[in-house]
Amino acid sequence: MEALKLKLKQEIIEALNLQDTKPEDIDDNAPLFGEGLGLDSIDSLELMVLLERNYKIKVEDPREGRKILQSVQSMAEFIMSKQAA
Amino acid sequence: MAERVLITGMGMVSAIGNNVEENFRSLRAQRSGLGYAQYVDTIHAGKLPVGEVKCSSEELAEMAGLTDATGFTRTTLLGLVAMQEALFSAGIKDPRDTPAAFINASTVGGMCDTEKIYFDILDPEKEGTFLQLIDTLDCADCTQRIADRAGLTAYVTTISTACSSSANALMYGARLIRAGLVERAVCGGTEALTRFTINGFNSLKNIDKRHCMPFDKDRNGLNLGEGAAYLVLESESFAQRRKARSMAELSGWCNTNEAFHPTSPSPEGDGAFEAMRKALAMSGRTVADVQYINVHGTATLNNDVSEGRALERLFGDNVPSFSSTKPFTGHTLAAAGAIEAIYSVLSINRQMIWPNLNFTERMEELRISPETRLLEESPVKNVVSNSFGFGGNNASLVISKYGN
Amino acid sequence: MEIKCYIQASAAISPQQSFEGSYEPQLLPLEARNLLRAQEPGYAGFIPPNSLRRMSRLLKMGLTTALQCLRNANAPVPGAIITGTGRGSLQDTEKFLHDIRTYEETALNPTPFIQSTYNSVNGLIALQQQCTDYNNTFVHRGFSFEHALLDSLLQIQEGAESVLTGGFDEMTLEHFFIKSRIGYWKSALTQPAEMLVSGTPGAIAGEGATFFLIGTAPGAVELMGMQMSYKPDAAGVSETLAQFLAQHGVKEEEIDLLVSGRNGDVRFDHFYDIAEKALTPATAKIHFKQFCGEYDTAGAFGMWTATQELLSGRHKTALIYNHFYGEQHTFILLQRH
Repeated sequence: MEALKLKLKQEIIEALNLQDTKPEDIDDNAPLFGEGLGLDSIDSLELMVLLERNYKIKVEDPREGRKILQSVQSMAEFIMSKQAA
Repeated sequence: MAERVLITGMGMVSAIGNNVEENFRSLRAQRSGLGYAQYVDTIHAGKLPVGEVKCSSEELAEMAGLTDATGFTRTTLLGLVAMQEALFSAGIKDPRDTPAAFINASTVGGMCDTEKIYFDILDPEKEGTFLQLIDTLDCADCTQRIADRAGLTAYVTTISTACSSSANALMYGARLIRAGLVERAVCGGTEALTRFTINGFNSLKNIDKRHCMPFDKDRNGLNLGEGAAYLVLESESFAQRRKARSMAELSGWCNTNEAFHPTSPSPEGDGAFEAMRKALAMSGRTVADVQYINVHGTATLNNDVSEGRALERLFGDNVPSFSSTKPFTGHTLAAAGAIEAIYSVLSINRQMIWPNLNFTERMEELRISPETRLLEESPVKNVVSNSFGFGGNNASLVISKYGN
Repeated sequence: MEIKCYIQASAAISPQQSFEGSYEPQLLPLEARNLLRAQEPGYAGFIPPNSLRRMSRLLKMGLTTALQCLRNANAPVPGAIITGTGRGSLQDTEKFLHDIRTYEETALNPTPFIQSTYNSVNGLIALQQQCTDYNNTFVHRGFSFEHALLDSLLQIQEGAESVLTGGFDEMTLEHFFIKSRIGYWKSALTQPAEMLVSGTPGAIAGEGATFFLIGTAPGAVELMGMQMSYKPDAAGVSETLAQFLAQHGVKEEEIDLLVSGRNGDVRFDHFYDIAEKALTPATAKIHFKQFCGEYDTAGAFGMWTATQELLSGRHKTALIYNHFYGEQHTFILLQRH
């Protein structure tokens, strides 16, 4: 889980080109959208692409996506649950 | 006092018909043109419904009277078919006898054909007639081919403001007339379905796998469509001099920007509200004078909330009949504003209000719901037609019965 | 025009050092190909990091030039925003086309699609400056910036106080190759210094972003008027020019500067001869494409060049004549007050 979260943070930084952000700057539970990293709805679509390309997990409904993408923690939990299934 | 701008001719092709009369019959019969694609080449063809024009490019070329269609993209061919009808319906025998403007609209130009050969173009080893399509990559190519064939050359240009493009083309043409630069401007847009655009909207996750359901609680996105439409605009004095038949008046218009988000409208519909309010003010009509609103109504989650809120704010407790005609045609992007302007003229001239198909349940965010029935013998004098696009671009037109 | 219109401020990103400081055009050396690349400024002082991270090159160039123009004018919010671009963000269009192929139409990043939309720069300017006024984008080769300018003039006549107008295009290596297949560029490496006497078909490619704030507040340079002509023949160019000057009450000998789009393409340079012959031999000439190269919206850099010359005090009345591969021709008249 910890390794997955670190990997996710690196992938998020790369996918969204968060140049001045380091993995340790991202708190596991901090909200990714709005405050926190200040991401928006286009970023959320980009993160869904990340999940699909890197983890073969397809999120069809943007509303569902919002829940999964709340934080690095929620993303990691979702990935683990999918991989366990 | 600036000149009035009259609509004296119209031509179109869409998923529900190859000319204005066929479109009218389909609207009246409540017959949608949505279905799975026959012509555009994409892996989504059997999964995502589209509003495709029911003709191959070869058939379109024949309809446009072309003997050799080499280098003519589907975008151009759709435009040529619509232009031919527009000039004919305006009773214009030789367009060259009057200096006129052609203001076209396009979102991706000839992408429909160039995307098929793009990687051949990049391969220096490959040669062939496909190289003739290189110049069709931009938006100007289709415009110039249509302008050259139609003989409309005094002012020639192309507007691209995403989904509001042809509404802006109509506005610009009308303003050229009012400024006295031309007496006639033929304005509208042309759009062919492309793999590029289908994948683009799919990447935004706003295409519904079902037929789109504007203003429905259960809506989940748009369906793309294709088509072309042109309206002949003339100054009132010129139209009277040549004894042209006036179909309606383009009495008001407004373009505003929301400055809210690159692709999403504001939740309270600030841009839509301002565009409609100012267009009505320009036309000298009040909200009480409007009998029908042809809404943008894409059926995306965001648009319909935003546009609906704007309607409630502007019209209060007396929101007139409104409907989205996109369940008939799909969202034809650059052509949508002009196609829907023609539906607005038809509404006035045939005294009918078009139904909003696929609606069953009102949205939680709104008090209002669209007109779901075909209303006949319904006096319509003023129509507001909305077109909103990416980049916050909002355009509203007011189309009025002439002599109103 | 009933209401007089002035250039209140301008800004340009081009292959030259044109973005800040005094402008001294250079005949730049080319090494690998006939392509003059724009010299880009640092963008960090203009665009917040959270917006900048996603933006592709043309969006940064267009937005930053627009913002610099507004800074130069000391006017944070313009009235209308009206632009022209022949190709929009080629980098994004190309990326999306490649992604569609690479990923076989699945799991595609939306950003290149969004940014490939031709009006994305306009939307960004409006968003960053919170400008809710009229907003339009023209996409028509050599009539992109030019119709943006005409639309701006109409806006002024209709009552707008000021309009931000501009043009921008980039050239990617991929698109440079594509256009080389149909004769857009000179086939042998040609230096800008030799461009005009090369005697060969094709042009040297270029790119850039140019913006103007035009408005009714009196300024040093008046935009007297413009005239476009679509696919004219030689006689048509001559006739259009004569009518244009007569319409504005300007005599040929009053024009002391011709800023011309002559680019050394032997197929189309003869049109520029017409304008040169119509003016007196004493008229100074600047061929601006030696400095910026050929692109759809190069005409905007021509108007910027003329503006700089008039502001320097060297000339009083400038005629700009540009065409794009012989099809879209435009005359613009500027006068210093």
